[in-house]
Amino acid sequence: MANTETALKEATTIIDGAIGAALVDYTSGMALGTVGGGKDLDLNVAAAGNTDVVRAKVRTMEMLGLNEEIEDILITLGSQYHLIRLLRSRGSNGLFLYLALDKSRANLAMARHQLRKIEASLEI
Amino acid sequence: MSAHAAAPVVSPMLLRLAEDRATGALIRDHGTLYLVDGRVVHAESPAAPGVDVLLTAGGRLPRAGWQEAVDRAGARREVGRFLVDSGRISGGELEICHLAALFDAAYFVLTPGGGPTRFRGGVGHWMGQVRPVPAADVQRETLRRRELLEAVWPYPAVDSAPVVPRTPSPGQTVTPRQRALLARADGRRTPARLARELGRPAFHTLLDIRRLAAAGLVATPYEPAAAPAQVPPTVPAWVADIAADPDTALLRRLRDALEAHL
Repeated sequence: MANTETALKEATTIIDGAIGAALVDYTSGMALGTVGGGKDLDLNVAAAGNTDVVRAKVRTMEMLGLNEEIEDILITLGSQYHLIRLLRSRGSNGLFLYLALDKSRANLAMARHQLRKIEASLEI
Repeated sequence: MSAHAAAPVVSPMLLRLAEDRATGALIRDHGTLYLVDGRVVHAESPAAPGVDVLLTAGGRLPRAGWQEAVDRAGARREVGRFLVDSGRISGGELEICHLAALFDAAYFVLTPGGGPTRFRGGVGHWMGQVRPVPAADVQRETLRRRELLEAVWPYPAVDSAPVVPRTPSPGQTVTPRQRALLARADGRRTPARLARELGRPAFHTLLDIRRLAAAGLVATPYEPAAAPAQVPPTVPAWVADIAADPDTALLRRLRDALEAHL
C-alpha cells in the first residue's frame, strides 16, 4: 500500500532511464504529485499539456466508436520517451501516470511492465 | 517556478500566514482553508462536494463506513488515518481523493471578491492531516484553474445557470464523462448540483460545462448586463464617422436633385 509520493519515487528509482514522473488528474490537468523533472522538464506544465493529449485520444475513440479503454500512450522524441499510463481507478476521476525516460538508457518494455506494477501498488 | 515573484497574488493573507507558519482556519465567504504550520491541510466550500461525497457517491465507500469513521475518530481529528488504518480505503486513494477535494474547495474559497478574510488561530479540522500542501502550490493551482476556465470559454454565466443540453450537430461526440453529465442535465440542475450528484469535484464539472458550452452542446444564458455606467449615446456612432469626412460632392448632388424637383 503506497501513497502517491512513494509510488512516484519508486517509478523514478526502479525504472532505468527515468527522468521524471507525475501523477495527473486528467480532467483538471493538475499534477497530484511529481518526482524528478528539474528545470529542463517542468512536470506541472507537462501534466497540464498532456491532459490535452489524453482528451484528444479519448474523443477520437468516441468518434470512431471504439468501445475500448486506453492502456497507455507512447510519445517518442529524439532523445526521450514519454509514457502515459491511464489508471483504472475505482473513483470517478480519470488519472494518468506520466513518465519521461531517457531514450538511450531506457528499456521500453521493462518500463511499461514496471509502470503497471506501480499502478497496482497505488491501489486506487 | 521562477515566475512566482511576478505571479498575481490570490490571497496576501494566505501567503503571510504561510510565512508565519500559522495554524488555524482562514475563513472567507465561500469557505474555509485549514492550515497547520503554514501549510494547507484541508479546505471546505459550500460550492464544492466534500471528500465524503467524492468517496461515497461512486459507491467506493459505503456511507455508513464514512459515518463510523467520523463518529469514532472525528473527536481526535484523525478521520483520514482511521479510514486507512481500518482498511476501508488505501492510503494512495485517500490521498488522491482528499487532494482533489482540497484544491477544488480552495478554488472557490479564493474566488476574487469573496468578502473579508478572517483568521481563527488554533482551529483544526476533524479530517486530520492527509497530505499537507504548501500555500504557494494552492495559490499557483488556483490561478491556473482560473486561467484554464477563461481560456476554454470566457463567459462565467454558465457556471451557475441550470444546465440545458442542446442537440449535437451530426458527427459531434462527447466524452463518456460529459455524457454522464448531460444525461442528468434536465434544465433545472446547476453545475454545482450535478457535481454533487455525480460525486465529482465542482471545478471539474465547471470545466466540462464550459467545454460543452464552447462546443455548442449546452445552452448559454445571456450575460448579466455590463456595467451600467456606460451612458447610451444619443446619436448612432456612425454619425461621428460621417461628420469627420463629409462627402461634399454627394451632398451637393443631392441638394441639386432636390432643388430640381421643387
